[in-house]
Amino acid sequence: MAFQTRRKYCFFKENNITAVDYKDVKLLKRFTNDNGKIMPRRVTGTSAKMHRKVVGAIKRARTIGLMPFVDSGSE
Amino acid sequence: MRYYELIYIVSSSVERKKNDQAMKDIGKKIEETGSKIINHIIWGKKKLAYPIKGNTYGTYILAHYQGGDNDKLQEFDSWLKLSDLAIRHMIVKLDEKPDIVKSLEENDADEKGKDKSSDEENLKKEKNKDEKKKETE
Repeated sequence: MAFQTRRKYCFFKENNITAVDYKDVKLLKRFTNDNGKIMPRRVTGTSAKMHRKVVGAIKRARTIGLMPFVDSGSE
Repeated sequence: MRYYELIYIVSSSVERKKNDQAMKDIGKKIEETGSKIINHIIWGKKKLAYPIKGNTYGTYILAHYQGGDNDKLQEFDSWLKLSDLAIRHMIVKLDEKPDIVKSLEENDADEKGKDKSSDEENLKKEKNKDEKKKETE
């Protein structure tokens, strides 16, 4: 099978979102993997500007207990 | 003018009355710093992503205020950290003036409903996958 080419795009540019709120966990979960790690830009395709905002928001959500630092999945 | 957002978690084992008392105490302290409270509302009971001080559930409370005296605000931050009212808190500077919010709990209920439906969909998908696998075998 040949590689399927998947178009990368900035999620925020597509949806016209300019600000990221740390309370919006549902949105932020898009940018973490199953272990709760922040996914790199080369995977998510987010623009550099928005990626910085996402990273900041995820870190805020972690300190207030809305998102996990490490999610082992066994609960 | 600077606007701040304070979010703090009250242990869910605490009764509703004590919850209100904590909100009153914290509201008073904020006003003592010369700040003007814009919103002070309960966001809802949520499961914590990791246990904080032995709690797995917590009630999130949100407050927006217009910053007053800077030194007093710093004092308020350390006072809240030392007090037993909240198990965790965070103060964030806002870029713009926050809107007046009446209640957030209704929105939460909607989200919960959506989550459940999506879970059900996922389950269905998984079931379908299993069936397909069996067929191929």
